[in-house]
Amino acid sequence: MSEFLSGTEADTGTLGERDPDGIELRLAARLEHLPIIRSVAANLAIRADFDLDSIADLKLAVDEACSTLITRAADGATLSCRFLVRPNEIQFGAIVLSTSDQEPSRESFGWRVLSTLTDHADTWVEDGISPDGKGPVAHIELIKRKIAGG
Amino acid sequence: MSGTTGSRASGPWRSESSDSEYEHLTPLFVKLAAIEADDPRRVPLRDQLVTGHLPLAEHIATRFSHRGVPREDLVQVATVGLINAVDRFEPDRGSDFLSFAVPTIMGEVRRHFRDASWSMRVPRRLKELNLAISAASGELAQRLGRAPTPSEIAQHLDLSQEDVYEGLEAGNAYHSVSLDEALSADSDSDPLADTLGEEDAALEGVENHESLRPMIEQLPERERQILTLRFFMNMTQTQIAERVGISQMHVSRLLARTLQRLREGLMSEPAGHDVD
Repeated sequence: MSEFLSGTEADTGTLGERDPDGIELRLAARLEHLPIIRSVAANLAIRADFDLDSIADLKLAVDEACSTLITRAADGATLSCRFLVRPNEIQFGAIVLSTSDQEPSRESFGWRVLSTLTDHADTWVEDGISPDGKGPVAHIELIKRKIAGG
Repeated sequence: MSGTTGSRASGPWRSESSDSEYEHLTPLFVKLAAIEADDPRRVPLRDQLVTGHLPLAEHIATRFSHRGVPREDLVQVATVGLINAVDRFEPDRGSDFLSFAVPTIMGEVRRHFRDASWSMRVPRRLKELNLAISAASGELAQRLGRAPTPSEIAQHLDLSQEDVYEGLEAGNAYHSVSLDEALSADSDSDPLADTLGEEDAALEGVENHESLRPMIEQLPERERQILTLRFFMNMTQTQIAERVGISQMHVSRLLARTLQRLREGLMSEPAGHDVD
């Protein structure tokens, strides 16, 4: 896994500040902000010349991942999202200070959606530092690869 | 409901020839009305009436095309209107089916225009660009056997990549198409029963499947089919678009809305079989 996404314990708070090409979004962990994150995802995939199916898949996957995190977010928490566009893939990582130290289930329908839509989907919770302070931080990371063009 | 029997709308679907085109179907309405609602014998009759009147739906869809919504989507919406008209028509009321169906179908198409409207003021140029891209991507997908990329679309339409980016992004300002009300009214016939087995088997491995199953069953037919094809049969949106007969962009919007609806449904479930 790229350092950009998983990082080390020490930098979970900033989601891998090492990579200067990353694009970071921080917003209140509320469902009404989903369209913003979604349109950034679509925008990046369009400009990276992904095929239309992959663009749509990435959009849906980012939506699903952020919804999952938002529903577990502590009150008033900030959702931090980071995108990294590579020549043949887009990486996405998001974290939020969680109400639970249990990771999102991989048996859920939501997880089926994420794993169908992307080439790689991972989730975990670790004690760390989020923009909202210390506590269990829930992570989701996704990779969508190019299948055509490029 | 419709006006008086005597008042005849003008237009291509009300010409002499189209009236007689549907005349042979009239006795079927009387037959249909005589059968109890839950009688399986209704199904073939209803199918025959819908299929027989399809040209009517197509004529109306054509009338409304060139207004910023793809014709294929309009035909789909008009067909929903036609199905509603077939279901609601009461032959003993004295009016003929066409006088009843035309306003019903037009109402459905108009509602589609209202629901599928652009959510913000998108310049006409961008709407047209988005439509051209949608049409081009359908063509290219056929040729390539996969969804095209923005640069392939740009080349095909002889546009700059920047134009294609803009046109695609304009699509994000498009409201999801609201066919819910129309389609959920349709509860009897189930041409998709064949995909249900797959769905059932696939759901077995998913937690919450007891609460998910009824939600999926309640989805409008087309949404359920698209969901199943994407997440249980792993087809791409482009393959689904071809199979279902709508544009990939339409599939995309319907999927997004369906997932949102399922998420909302699961969230409002009393906690229990989840993580803890």
